[in-house]
Amino acid sequence: MRISHQPGRSALALTLMGLLPASALSQITPDQANQIRNTLSERIEALTILGGDFGLAGGTFRSTGRFTSSQSTDSTLGVTKLGGAGDIGDIKPLGSLPIGWQLRVQGNIGFLDATNTVHSPLLEGDINEFKTSAIGFGGGARFWMNDQFSMAPTLMAMYGRTANSYTANSPFMQMNFDEATRVGLIGWSVDTLTLRAALNFQYIVKWKRTVITLSADPTYFHTDSLHSTSTQISVNGDSGYLSGTVDVDVPMGLDLFGHELRTGGYLRISELYGNLSSGLQMPRMNEIHGRVVLDFLNQLWKVQWLGIGVSYVWGSNINGVTGGIDATFRF
Amino acid sequence: MRRTPRPPAIAIRILLCAPVLGLGLTGCWTPPTADVQPSGEPRLIQAGIPVTARREPAVVQSVDSATRTLVVWTPGEPQSSVTYKVGPTISSLQEIEAGDKVEVTTTAQLSVYVLRDGRLPGATPETVDVGARVLSVDPSYRLLTLQYPNGQTETYKVKRDVKLQEMSAGDAVVVHEGEVIALKRKRR
Repeated sequence: MRISHQPGRSALALTLMGLLPASALSQITPDQANQIRNTLSERIEALTILGGDFGLAGGTFRSTGRFTSSQSTDSTLGVTKLGGAGDIGDIKPLGSLPIGWQLRVQGNIGFLDATNTVHSPLLEGDINEFKTSAIGFGGGARFWMNDQFSMAPTLMAMYGRTANSYTANSPFMQMNFDEATRVGLIGWSVDTLTLRAALNFQYIVKWKRTVITLSADPTYFHTDSLHSTSTQISVNGDSGYLSGTVDVDVPMGLDLFGHELRTGGYLRISELYGNLSSGLQMPRMNEIHGRVVLDFLNQLWKVQWLGIGVSYVWGSNINGVTGGIDATFRF
Repeated sequence: MRRTPRPPAIAIRILLCAPVLGLGLTGCWTPPTADVQPSGEPRLIQAGIPVTARREPAVVQSVDSATRTLVVWTPGEPQSSVTYKVGPTISSLQEIEAGDKVEVTTTAQLSVYVLRDGRLPGATPETVDVGARVLSVDPSYRLLTLQYPNGQTETYKVKRDVKLQEMSAGDAVVVHEGEVIALKRKRR
């Protein structure tokens, strides 16, 4: 089982009020209200998935992107996650079929803090903040077609809570703050439930002592709001990503403190779809990761390796570096 | 009008084909087994491979402080008695009594062979007293998993100079028991 913890921060560019026309707060037409609701719904869904899913990178990201034709934000987004997915126990035969199987479990707990400083003539200097916490558990099975190729269908449920707070620094919002709060555009919180269905394909190549793992992960999410403090805010949407990963794990042939040093890393390219893509305002998220670890397998409980890792994450709207402890377990 | 498939649709098609491709490229999965004739010429692959093993749970059958020997057996396996020499670093031997449950960590040395009909052929064929067989080998993480005649398996972390690349399932292993290097009494 592999459970990875990468404390650090990630980043994405978010804007909320940036999407609202200035007139929206004084006189909202039904069309505008609908647009606001949709935009917020996409954002909440995207933030919940980004904060609560173990398949996307955590870390701290920064963006100064332009998100609407008239406004841009200076955004930082920090995501701290603890979680992962792993296969439990030895591979067992599946009846009389020439297929092996293992139980697979997965879980994650994540916290996300997105702070957006709005730059626009009317809302200049306002700060819009989203805080999301999410927790999810699930599982499935990994089916081994041979010693190299396997696939793992999984289901997971994820509970999320996103809260919004707004600091009005602009004269316009200082004047309209109470009204915006009253109509539920700011200062709200929403609880969501996300169903995650995924299929992991994995192919392992062993070359001398090096292990190369190729994997593909089509993943689908459906999110519904359970409770909202604002009548304007509800979530009901579909998202997904398709990521491809190449991981290389290389023993270095050197011992440190009685354990062999290993190095390696991975390159992951994730295509984002649905509300995850529109909510984060980007179609793709890439990550390159490097690590230096010590081999503890069969020496310390279920620890496979322990060391440090660094990731660089980039997309069309964001970039950021994250680093921290790199730990993997095998159960 | 000609329609071009959207990139996600193409990617999904490729992914859906992957299992079929994977199945087609290689054979089927089979559970690991030690009851196979290993490939290669009969030979001694390597002798004197040091390993440490932890035996738990074990029950003390008898203890002799004078000769520093300990006889333990595994509950549920009447024929599993093993006599160990207790190393000089163990000071708690006096406290151990028959019937105690203990966790025993021992040293051992392994010799790994490729045999034919249980023998090393040559001018004077040599019979080898096989104590276990190789079940699986992981050269990357230096893991050697053995299967004993009673069906139990044990995985050892071996040193980097062990020729794991030359070993495979079915290789014969002679186990030379060493001495107890750690002894921990558990609740009776």
